[in-house]
Amino acid sequence: MKPTGILFFPAFDWAISPTHPEREERLLYTRDQIFEEGIMDLPQIKEYKPGLASLKDIARVHFCVPDVEAQITEAHLVSAGSALVMADAVMKAEVKNGFAIIRPPGHHAMTVAHGNRGFCNINNEAIMVEYLRQKYGLKRIAIVDTDVHHGDGTQEIFYHDPDVLFISFHQDGRTLYPGSGFTEEAGGPLAYGTTINIPLLPRTTDTGIHYVLDHLVMPILDEFKPDIIVNSAGQDNHYSDPLANMAFSAQGYARLNETLAPDIAVLEGGYSVESALPYINMGIIMAMAGIDYSNLKEPDYNPSRLKEPGGNMERIYKIVDTQLKTFRNREEVIEKNRRSGELFKSSREHIFYDTDYINEDQRNELRLCPECGGFRVIISTAQHPNGKRYHIACVQLPIFACKSCQEQARDAYKTFNNSTYDMVYLQDRVKDQYKSIITRTGEERVL
Amino acid sequence: MLIGIDVGGTFTDGVLFNDGEIVTSVKKPTEEGNLKNSLLQVLDELMVKDDAANIKRIVLSTTLVTNLLATGRGEKTALVLLPGYGLPHDSYDITEDIYFLKGAVDFRGREIERPDNKEIDLLLDWIKSSGSNRIAVAAKFSNRNNVHEKLIKNRILEECDGVHVSISSEISAKLNFPRRAATTYYTAMTISPWNRFVDEIEAALNDRGIEAEVQVLKADGGTIPLQASRSKPCETVFSGPAASTMGGLALTLDDLNSVVVDVGGTTTDLSLIIAGEPLYASRGAVIDKKLTHVNSFAVSSIPLGGDSVITTKGVQPYRIGPAACFGGEKPTVTDAFNIHLNLNLGDVSKSEISMEEIAAHKKMDMGQLCSQIVADVTKRLFSAIKEMFLQWENEPAYKVWEVINQRKFTPDRVIGIGAAAPAMIPALAELMQVEYFIHTYSPVANALGASVVRPTLTVVLHADTQSKKYTLDPGGKTGELEKPKSYQLNHAKDMALQHLLTVGQELGMEDYTADCEFFLEEQFNMIRGWDRVGKLFEVGIQVAPGFIKEFKGVKI
Repeated sequence: MKPTGILFFPAFDWAISPTHPEREERLLYTRDQIFEEGIMDLPQIKEYKPGLASLKDIARVHFCVPDVEAQITEAHLVSAGSALVMADAVMKAEVKNGFAIIRPPGHHAMTVAHGNRGFCNINNEAIMVEYLRQKYGLKRIAIVDTDVHHGDGTQEIFYHDPDVLFISFHQDGRTLYPGSGFTEEAGGPLAYGTTINIPLLPRTTDTGIHYVLDHLVMPILDEFKPDIIVNSAGQDNHYSDPLANMAFSAQGYARLNETLAPDIAVLEGGYSVESALPYINMGIIMAMAGIDYSNLKEPDYNPSRLKEPGGNMERIYKIVDTQLKTFRNREEVIEKNRRSGELFKSSREHIFYDTDYINEDQRNELRLCPECGGFRVIISTAQHPNGKRYHIACVQLPIFACKSCQEQARDAYKTFNNSTYDMVYLQDRVKDQYKSIITRTGEERVL
Repeated sequence: MLIGIDVGGTFTDGVLFNDGEIVTSVKKPTEEGNLKNSLLQVLDELMVKDDAANIKRIVLSTTLVTNLLATGRGEKTALVLLPGYGLPHDSYDITEDIYFLKGAVDFRGREIERPDNKEIDLLLDWIKSSGSNRIAVAAKFSNRNNVHEKLIKNRILEECDGVHVSISSEISAKLNFPRRAATTYYTAMTISPWNRFVDEIEAALNDRGIEAEVQVLKADGGTIPLQASRSKPCETVFSGPAASTMGGLALTLDDLNSVVVDVGGTTTDLSLIIAGEPLYASRGAVIDKKLTHVNSFAVSSIPLGGDSVITTKGVQPYRIGPAACFGGEKPTVTDAFNIHLNLNLGDVSKSEISMEEIAAHKKMDMGQLCSQIVADVTKRLFSAIKEMFLQWENEPAYKVWEVINQRKFTPDRVIGIGAAAPAMIPALAELMQVEYFIHTYSPVANALGASVVRPTLTVVLHADTQSKKYTLDPGGKTGELEKPKSYQLNHAKDMALQHLLTVGQELGMEDYTADCEFFLEEQFNMIRGWDRVGKLFEVGIQVAPGFIKEFKGVKI
């Protein structure tokens, strides 16, 4: 039996600010626990060294404003790069599966990156997904976001991609950051039903989450038949997390990963640094490596204190029913949207970057392509903390775009070159080429 | 006068060293069943050249403990584990019979489960009825709080007569419970045979009127006084390869990147010197296939040496006798190199005669055959060397700067050690496209290395200003911080240094403690809510491997 790959990168020399939850101390006790357990010495485990992502790996997913260098620190390159190392190890079959215990996290980072939101600058899983597609030719990918916060960044990035199934269960957006992730958010017009949100009430326990897993997540995954399953593995559903209000346990997390059997898990949030993270990380590692985890528990674990709130299960049964229908009706809905007669579908978004206090206004134009998922144009405006205001145009061409979308997208980029936008971008995933131009000087950069 | 003796698997080497020169050297086959005899024979031959009163220092390197553990002849020891919560009990496979007890502390040293007194009573009954008199006790996170280990030790000592107990917190304070448990178990198993050996050596030296200081070589390339080694037998494992590495360093004394290749009769040991410093095994010494907390050089051992026999099927992983050119019966790797490279070793015609039969059988021209063997052997060594570089380059990293500054090993030189080095090293260096270094003293560089290395000592302090506690390694000393609120990194460093000086004095190595350096300085703010509630420090200071003051290099 092949081992499980572990890449542990605690970034002991990186913090958003000294007292921020995303600080040096975050994985310190996890380090103590997994090293003291000697788990890296077991034959079932193979430890990997972190790697560096390239600027191109990042530009494949994000429109960084004004450029990639402005939006990242070296720590981000290592964190994203480490997810890629784990992905390579799995794809080369050196390991049966892999867990990247890395920080900084990424699942709140969206396609356009003006700054940090929800502790995230760039999206590690999304960068990994597009890397896997380019390098290994994978097409269908499932991302299950098990963080307590809605993975709004990952959702936005793949909202129009019918080949990426994004499932997120999280504490209800009416009670927690980022305030999104409702059942109505089910994917763009040509990718409807491959975004599945399961908002859960505060205090939901192992029972509720496992019901969702067994009766919704697993059946959908069986039907979707992804090439690879990614767990966007936040650990803040835990009953002790200081930033959220759920009641999940380390045993619950271990069983979740045993059931879900992700090919790759990537750490996201989780800020109960002493009471939860050491035990959840152990639990995930043990479950992924097939090690009996029945002897694992938090020192203060008391299952009798963790009870489903009254009526919660009934509410969960309903959501599961609704979302099974959303998923199973997806092709029908997409066909209807395709035949709507519209050429482009416009929408407007307002995005708030809580960490950096940036307000971004976006206009999205998606081509309602008769053949593929369509290409997308994003017009974005935001004032950065340094006082500079950016007005940019981004053209995004997905890797599986049809010929006609390819032509139109590349033409659009050329047209925008002679415009009043500060920056114009083309993300040409078909050619794996990422262009940006400063219109004032006409200086173009190609990654 | 300095003496270094390395009792190896095949040979025992000894040198008498003075003022940059080897006065005399001795090489004898090792008597497997009686290492003490081999050692004393070599010592006596060395002493012919000098008077006991002139001997200033003797350093011994021996495979005794390695052999005891490899052949399962250590003392029968019961292992008691308190693993608390986490991995299942059946993942601890250090030995077949493990006695598990309840009781757990966490990474901050907080007690999260008390030991069960009834269980301990049953353990004591079992010890009494089974007649076990060696017990090793290890608890998870005992390096942060050893209250449970001490409790069990005290109960056993109080109620069971004549039982010796080793606890893991006194053996090592490093994280990694299974390694700590294994190290404690192996220590308990070998402590009394090792002490008998030390007694015998002391008596023998006494008989000979030798009053010199006697040190034992450790796997980390440093020495420890013979007396102090009594409680730490495991530190002496794999000292042979350490002797060779330090020997290579002693002969060169510069800061190049070197591969030390110690070509023995049946095996070749590889080690790396990076910018003048020997590379450590990041995971500790492996004893009986178990990882331990014994600090050891990274050594890769290949079953291929100068005396490896050549048959029609190629190079064999065993030795029958010396090379044909040195009077042996069978052709060996040395003979093939001798012919192919015109090395003029011993009687070349005998190399040729021994090879002829094989060449005839393989219907090959002799030159062709030898060239093929040389190419095979050097390729195997080079690929093992490359594997070592790669392992070092791929060591995990936990900080951003470590990843950004990716390390890359480019060898500058191959240092050949061992009697067969002159045959094999030049061809290997040519394949690697680096220079090589072979010295007149290369055949006994291991014993030379042993004779001139200095003591080493590593101290690690863990301090927690919220719980106000600290622990110090070695020894597992714990205590309360006096002024936790104003405690800073400089205080932690100062405490670690003081401990190093104290322990150094106990070990009689005051001459070297001034040469210490910090190798670990970790500090973390503990934030709860948005406030700092304390700081965690981990500070390490060491006297690294090096040479005694009077050693300034070899003269020739």
